[in-house]
Formats: sequence, structure tokens, C-alpha cells
Amino acid sequence: MWFLLVFFSALTFADTRSSDEKVVGVFYFKPLFGHVHQSSSRASASMTTIQCSHPVKVIESSKVSAAAEWAYVQVADHKGFILKDFLSEKRPDCIMGRYPKFFDAFNLDLSELYYWGRLNDQYLYGETRAP
Amino acid sequence: MINTFTGKLALLSFSFFMASGGWAQTEKLQEEKELEVVNFQSIKKVLQKDGLSESAVQKRKTTDILKKEQGVIERKRYFYPTEAELWGLVSEYWLVRNAQLLVWDFVKPDYGIEDSFRTIMEKLGFFQKKYKILLLNSPALVRASLPSDENEMILLLSVPFIRSLDLSKLEISLLLLEDYFRLEAEYFKKAVRTPKMSKLAGTNFQGSKPDPTMLEEVLKNYDQQVMRKGYTFQQQFEVTKKMDSYLKAHPELWNAYFRLLGKIDKFIKVNVQYKDYVRMYPSPEMQVKWLSPEEKVL
Repeated sequence: MWFLLVFFSALTFADTRSSDEKVVGVFYFKPLFGHVHQSSSRASASMTTIQCSHPVKVIESSKVSAAAEWAYVQVADHKGFILKDFLSEKRPDCIMGRYPKFFDAFNLDLSELYYWGRLNDQYLYGETRAP
Repeated sequence: MINTFTGKLALLSFSFFMASGGWAQTEKLQEEKELEVVNFQSIKKVLQKDGLSESAVQKRKTTDILKKEQGVIERKRYFYPTEAELWGLVSEYWLVRNAQLLVWDFVKPDYGIEDSFRTIMEKLGFFQKKYKILLLNSPALVRASLPSDENEMILLLSVPFIRSLDLSKLEISLLLLEDYFRLEAEYFKKAVRTPKMSKLAGTNFQGSKPDPTMLEEVLKNYDQQVMRKGYTFQQQFEVTKKMDSYLKAHPELWNAYFRLLGKIDKFIKVNVQYKDYVRMYPSPEMQVKWLSPEEKVL
């Protein structure tokens, strides 16, 4: 009986290991609001909305393929995709962190949070070079 | 009833008399008091010798400093953002609130506009400029430039307008360049800034709630400026002349800009859907005249 218990525990352990996922590191979300996407496309559905400075686990897995500019991430129970440009190794200095009481007064509803996240997906970003 | 009351009064008087007597008995003698002082002084000396009273003073000082610092940190939480920090926030909030009207949340092909605009900006010598281009799937707003964070701008452009005019990437970039010059001249900021915004930005509101009317007033001015008011003839003249002076060194760009204005002029005169364009950006016809060389009278 005891032997069987050990055997099945070992099987369970083997199963979790086979998912082949490795946490690369913890990064922080840079824009004000954004989405964890279902697939590596700006137009793909949102799994959850996160805000600036939210910690994000970046995962590597041979089973998940994503476009070069996307990171495969885990946020709480959700596993999805975020643009690499939106992630920072250091905790960013967010406006809602600098002015928390002012920001509280915004009282953003769910729809506004969603659209603010989408706005950052829809922008075409650009910057001219240094002289 | 009266008898009961008299009895209670007597009992009360007796208790008071006894209590007074008791107090008189427990009152300390002068010598006793003096002795206490002496004892305290001797204890104090011992305390001083041990350095305990010094450490108490030090502890009080540390507590005071910590309390003061905590107060400063708490106070910092109650600031309005500075005006420079407010622009980006308000512009994005306005875009979020008008998402359904402007229809910017849509799937679009990669037009490569951001790269083409970068090329022109760099060609004209505008370096380290950040921009966010937002394409709109609606003719409700043809174009606009909104202030953002420091050294950054938000440029809006209608895809149906681009398609109807069949604009090239170069022409689109020239339109964006015009909008960049408008933003640089701060016409927009001057038009939407309210006295309340100037007064409250960067100030502290600890002990009260942030004034919600500050944002609402500015957002209302955004609606007015972007959707109805637009720019004056004088402002358009200044922008056109600025485009003229920057593009003169690059004849291919100047010619493309001149042709573009003519194209827009013809298009809006026959297309009812864009009849408001002339009111917002007066006027492509005048812009062509301002750019045209003066006719010589023989």
C-alpha cells in the first residue's frame, strides 16, 4: 500500500515536470494599463487587464511559440502574451504610484480600464534617433 | 416620601463629612513632601549617571523626526500631478472616453506609417522625438494632435480619409508633420487649458478631496477643440509658413506637400462627409495661395 502511494506520487511529479515550462524572471508592466493576450497578436482577446508596475512572470516553454516581439507570461492564474516592449526588469515609476490619491478619484469603470489597455495595444509607437 | 428624602440627605451629609475628614487625614506633611523631592532628585541623579534620561531625550527626538518624515510621505500622496504630467493622462483619458465615437479599437494592416514619419522627421533634423500614432476607423474626426508626456505626442488620423484620398505614406507623413508643428506651437494647450488646471496642477489637496471639475472642464475643452473649434486662419498661416520654410531645402517634399494641399482642397469641396474639415483647418485653398509664389505685375 505504502509502495503504491510513493509510486503514484512519483508519477504526478513526472507529469508536472513534463510541461517543460521555465520561469525566466519576474518583470514589471510599464504602460498605465494593458492586457494579457490569449495569443501573440495585438488584436487577440484579453485574458485579464493589468496596470503599471504589476509583476509578470516570463515563462519559456518549447511547447509555446510566439512572435519575437512577444513574451509568454503568467499573471496570477492566467498564462498569455504581452509585448516585450511593455515589460521592464526594474519596477517602473508609474503616475498612479506618484499620485495615488489623485488617481483614486478617477474612479475608472471596467469598460474604461479595458479601453485604456486596448489603447496601448493600438498605438503605432515611434521615436526618432539621437543626432 | 418626605421622611425618606430627609433620611437620604442626612446619609449624604454624613458621607461627605467622613470623606472630608479622611482627606484631611491623608494630606501629606510638608516634610514628607520635601523628602519626596529629595528622593526624586537623588533618583534623577542616578538616572542621569546611567545615561537613561539622555537616551529618553534621544528617543523622543528620533520619534519626532520619524513622525515628521511620515507626515511628509503622507502629504506627498495628496498632490495633483504637475501640468506637464497631466497632459498625457488627460489626452489618453479623453481617447478612452471617446473610444466608441472615434473607433480606434480595430484590426488594421501594417501601413508602415510610423517608419515613414520617422524618416521625414529625421531628414528634417527632428531628433529624439517620441510619438504615438492612433488610426481611427471613422470619418468623424479626420486628424488631430494631442499633447502627451514630455517630448512625446499623440497623432490621430482617420483611415477612411486616407483611403478616400488614396494618400501615399509620404503624404500621410506630411500631414502628421503639420500636426506636429501645431502641437509644438502649443495652440492646443492654449485652447484647452483652464484657469483651474493652471491653479491646481502640482498643488496639494491633503485634508480635502481632489476637485473633479478640474478634469471635467479640460475634457470638455478637448471635445470642443478636437471636434468643433479647430484652428484659426492665423494659426494655419503660421503652420503653413513653417512647413514652407522647413520643406524648401527638400524640393521633393515641398512639391509633395503643395500637391497634397491641392488634393485635399478639391476633395473636401465635393465630399459632403468632410465639409467640417475647412472649419477645423482653414483652409487648404488658402494654404495653397500662401505657398504659391507671388504673381509679378508687369
